[in-house]
Parts: sequence; C-alpha cells; structure tokens
Amino acid sequence: MTGETELATPTVSTLEHPPTDLIDRVVERLHGVLRPDQILTGKTDRYNRARVPAPFPVHRWRERVPDLAVLPESTEEVAAVVRIANELKCPVVPRDGGTGLTDGAVPLRGGIVVDVKRMNRIHELDLENRTVTVGTGINMLKLNEVLGRHGLIYPDDPASYPCSLVGGRIGTSGWSLIGARYGHTRDLVLSFDFVLPTGEILHVGDGIGRKISKSSSGYQLKHLFMGHQGTLGIATKATLKLYPKPEAELSPFWAFDDYDAAYRFTGALARAGVATFAGAVLFDEWKVAYLRRDDEAYIPQPADVRALTCAVLYGWEDEVRVGGKRLFRIAKEHGARYLGDEISEGDWAARHDRYATPLHGRTKSGQVVPMSWHCEDAAVNYTDVPAVTKAWHEIVADLRRRTDVFDDWGMFAYTSADTGVDYLTEIDVGIWEQRLDDAAWAMWVQAKRDIAAAALAHGGSISACHGSCREGEVDLVPRELGRGFDVMLGVKRMLDPNNIMNPGKYLLDFAYQGDVSAQLDELRGIR
Amino acid sequence: MSYRYSDENTPPPARKASEVAQTTFEHVYEVDPRLMQTHVLQQVFPNWDTLRIMHARHDHLEWMHHHFAHTTISGSELMGDTTT
Ligand SMILES: Cc1cc2nc3c(=O)[nH]c(=O)nc-3n(C[C@H](O)[C@H](O)[C@H](O)COP(=O)(O)OP(=O)(O)OC[C@H]3O[C@@H](n4cnc5c(N)ncnc54)[C@H](O)[C@@H]3O)c2cc1C
Repeated sequence: MTGETELATPTVSTLEHPPTDLIDRVVERLHGVLRPDQILTGKTDRYNRARVPAPFPVHRWRERVPDLAVLPESTEEVAAVVRIANELKCPVVPRDGGTGLTDGAVPLRGGIVVDVKRMNRIHELDLENRTVTVGTGINMLKLNEVLGRHGLIYPDDPASYPCSLVGGRIGTSGWSLIGARYGHTRDLVLSFDFVLPTGEILHVGDGIGRKISKSSSGYQLKHLFMGHQGTLGIATKATLKLYPKPEAELSPFWAFDDYDAAYRFTGALARAGVATFAGAVLFDEWKVAYLRRDDEAYIPQPADVRALTCAVLYGWEDEVRVGGKRLFRIAKEHGARYLGDEISEGDWAARHDRYATPLHGRTKSGQVVPMSWHCEDAAVNYTDVPAVTKAWHEIVADLRRRTDVFDDWGMFAYTSADTGVDYLTEIDVGIWEQRLDDAAWAMWVQAKRDIAAAALAHGGSISACHGSCREGEVDLVPRELGRGFDVMLGVKRMLDPNNIMNPGKYLLDFAYQGDVSAQLDELRGIR
Repeated sequence: MSYRYSDENTPPPARKASEVAQTTFEHVYEVDPRLMQTHVLQQVFPNWDTLRIMHARHDHLEWMHHHFAHTTISGSELMGDTTT
C-alpha cells in the first residue's frame, strides 16, 4: 500500500499573507464596529491563535500566524467584521477551541481570526421543549455544569470534551463517544444563526424552525452548514437538544488474547440492540502494547491480554442494569474476561479527556522521546475494520523503519451508530515534532494520503470525525466525493464570491480557477 | 508529609513491574529509568508530589463520573447475575 497513492503536486499551499497596508485598512475599519479591546494585533495574541494540536514542522510555524484576531460578542458584530473583510478581500478564519485535528482553524493565508469564545452565553433554557440556546463559544463541559442543576445534559462528548466548543463542533460536524445512544453533533444541534462570507445573516435548521427536529420543507440546509471547516461562514448562536442527565453509567472493559476474538465480540455487542448502549470500543494489539509502556491500568496486565473491548451504557438505573446483564451474557458466550471494576470505571472516565499524552514516544531502541500525538481517522464498515487496521499499521511501520520520528501508538475502532454498521477507526501516531524536518514532513504527508486511500479502497470515508482538509488526505477528497466535489466547488463560489472565508482549505481554491476538470481527473486517478 | 528532606526524597524501593516499567508506591508506576537516559531524563519528584498527582488523577476521574451520570454501576455487580 505504502507510497502507492501517487497524485499531482501537493495541493495545500500557504500563499502570501495580505500586504501590511491592507491589514492597516482592515484594522482601521474594524475600529468602527468593535471596541479596541476586541481587536488583537499583539504577537502573543496572534501566535496563541495559530497553534492547533496536529503536529507540524516547528520551523514552519510562523507561516500560519494570523495578522490579527477579533473577539466579537454578538452575531451582528461577527457579520460586521465579515462584511469589512469581504469588501477589502481579507481572509477570515473562524476559531473556537482550536482543538480540531485537520488544521481547520489554522490561517493558511493570514488575515483575521474570528475567535468566537466570548460568545459563550446561555441565551435561553426551554425546560418544556428540552432545548437550550447558546452562543457558539460555549464549552460543553461548562454548559453541562449548568444543565446538570436542572437534571439535564447536552450529550455531545468528544474525547476533547473539556476544551472543544459548540461552534467548532458545528464547523467539524463532530463525532461523539456516546453517539450510538444520543447521536452526534449533527443530530444534537437543532438550528443555528449563521454569518455567510458576504456578511449576510441566515438562520439554518430543519425548515426555518429554531426547535424543530424534523422538517421536510425545502432543501435540508443544516447539513450543508455543518462540517465545512469554517469555509462557508460562522455559526454564532445555536439551539441544542437536551436529554435527562443519566441516572446510571456502566462501562465494562473485557480482555482477549487475540484481536479476532475481541473484534467478533465488539460486533456482537453493537448488534445486540440494547437501548441504553452508548458505544463500544475495540483496542487492537498495538494499542494494548502501547498502553503497557506507561499506563498504570495496563502495565500490570498479564501478557495474554492482547486486545480489549469496552462497552458503555447510559440511562435510568433499572434499564442500564438489564441492558448490562445482556451484554455480560454475550461476554460469557464469547469467552471475554472482565478486567475488573477499577480499570473499567477509571479508563472510561479518562476517555472524555485525552489531552494528557506527553512523553509516550519511544525510539526503536526503546528510549523515551517527547512526541506529539496525532490521530488519523476514517469511517469504515464493520466488515472492513480488520483489513483497514492491517493496512494502516503497515503504512506506519514503513515510516518507522525509515525514521524514529514516527511511532505507532495503536488503533481503536469505535461504534458510530446503534446498529454497529460503521466504525470510527483511528490510528494514533506519535510524532517527534522537533525532528520533523522537510523530508520527514513529506514522508508523513504521503503516509496520510496512503492512509486515506486505504479507507476509500475498503468502501469507507476518509474521516468520521475530524474532517479531511489537512495536507495529504485532502488530495483524495475529489476521489471520495466524485461529482459531489464539483457541487462543493459551485456552492463555495456562489456563497463566497471573493474566497475570503478560510481560504486554502479543502482544495476550494479550484472554485475560482475556471475549468479545473483536468486537475480533478488527475486527483481522481482518471488521467 | 514528612518535614525531613531525605524522607520526602526517598520513595519506597522500586520493584520491577514489567520489561519497561517499575512501581514504587501502590498504584504508582514509572518508566524504567534505563529508558530515560538519552533524550529525556527522569525527574526526581518528592513523595508528596507523586502522591498528590496520583490522588488528583483519581479525583478527576471521580468528578467525570458524576458529571455524566448520578451513579456508576460496577460490572462485578452484574457479572454473577446474567440470567435475566
Ligand atoms: C485530544 C483530542 C481528542 C479529540 N477527540 C475527538 C472526538 O472524539 N470527536 C471529534 O469529533 N473530534 C475530536 N477531536 C477533534 C476536535 O476536538 C473536534 O474537531 C472539535 O469539534 C473541534 O472543536 P473546536 O471548538 O476546538 O474547534 P476549532 O478547532 O476551533 O475549529 C474546528 C473547525 O471549525 C471551524 N469553526 C470554528 N468555530 C466555528 C464557528 N463558530 N462556525 C463555523 N465554523 C467554525 C474552524 O474554522 C475549523 O475549521 C479531538 C481533538 C483532540 C485534541
């Protein structure tokens, strides 16, 4: 597989930033619509809004620094900023928590970062209809602290739960750990106010409703304005669906001495049709070996623990108990070994917050090195999970044979739906960022293409969760979407006539380049 | 916490926990110091800090459980009774 995805020249380019006199004019005009403390031009303010978690060569960090950042406090202020940017043709990049893993919030062409974090108010809590309307700068953890007092929860639960925010979840159309029970961001966000690249304000939902969960009126625009990585505009105020805060949680972990048995068991759990089932996770042999390096739960495990499955249930206590017993029955039939209450409960609680991953890297000789975490993901059907797992490990093994900059930290497969149809598969890769020179970066970008190609070759999608607009995998998006990608270009051109909204992402520059069918054919492998 | 410097800087003798890790206090594991000699050197932590970090982790996990649900049902309660 490795190196097979030969494509035209790399297509994510960091073109020139706007000239200084344009930025001066932008700043001058912004003073007409914002207070001075909402306009940030200082070096620290700008550098703080350039960094994202996905590793990138340190010597190139300065390419991605915005010229300024703004902190709007209302939809109208966002619209006023965007109108000025559109008139003066200055790039705008929406940014929320900055935890995205596909570089969506990274300014590739400088310009204005619109940081929506000050729009973090709870505008309305509707206890009767079970909705809450919030500014998109609010964080789910903080929101749930308030909702918990009313016995409610907003169950969008990424592994970045403490630090990603509602607007970023809309921008990525995120994936939730407990989505098999409660749905993912697209199901949980009912509607939102949205600022288009021209500065016009639009309300997007099912039909025109604010609190409608199902409408058949007109085109279904809500999906279009989610998951676009900030390339179509900025969500400012969102109405979210609420559930009763679960009375009970159950999160058993089981061990197996081989991957195949754990895989079969995971499938059986997901297909069992238990109503309180919120998700199952399969840990492969590489993941278990990695956890044995320095995770207190796994270091003491006997050597024949080679693969794991975990299941999670949420709901009323009586329902969870009954559902849980059914899953334990299935466990017995599959010869699964329960790992014990301490690990089961502790490890699950730690899954909501996977930020603490320093110093897990090892050189081939076993020495500890400081590596940053990166994760490549895909959406893959159950029956294809083993083949994709094998292909991805081969790709990363090839990188590691060539250099100590990369380290295979193993794979997970998580249920996306309550029927077990498809899984978020993810491979975690340690990257020694200080040693990530141009040659190593080129190797990594090629590996990312190969990883995406393997998912597509098995009928999957390049991403279930993070998006696919980062250098490498983005080159395969026209192949994945086919004619749909041409529709994307048409939509972009129509809504963003000056290409100011997060330019350089998702190959959308093609929308402004006349007839690009030859380039697209090349990317699609039709030459 | 002991007020003597030497007490606080002398952890219990390390026991080998695996090929790549060792253990000192109960539930406290460390990377085998032989693996932290080239690129990253192992730091010395006073005992109170080691234990503080471990307890803080447990507090954090406890907080997470309560944040997402009122009670946690343990698997061992259900394991014995898988008939219904
Ligand atoms: C440790 C870790 C674990 C993770 N686990 C998960 C996981 O389980 N599931 C998952 O889905 N993701 C996960 N992620 C990725 C990331 O957290 C999500 O993509 C999240 O949705 C990003 O939210 P954010 O607020 O940080 O957005 P940002 O990173 O700020 O932005 C993400 C994208 O949305 C755009 N955007 C931001 N705000 C707006 C807005 N108001 N309107 C329109 N567009 C906007 C940005 O331009 C960017 O393209 C994880 C990341 C980390 C670091």
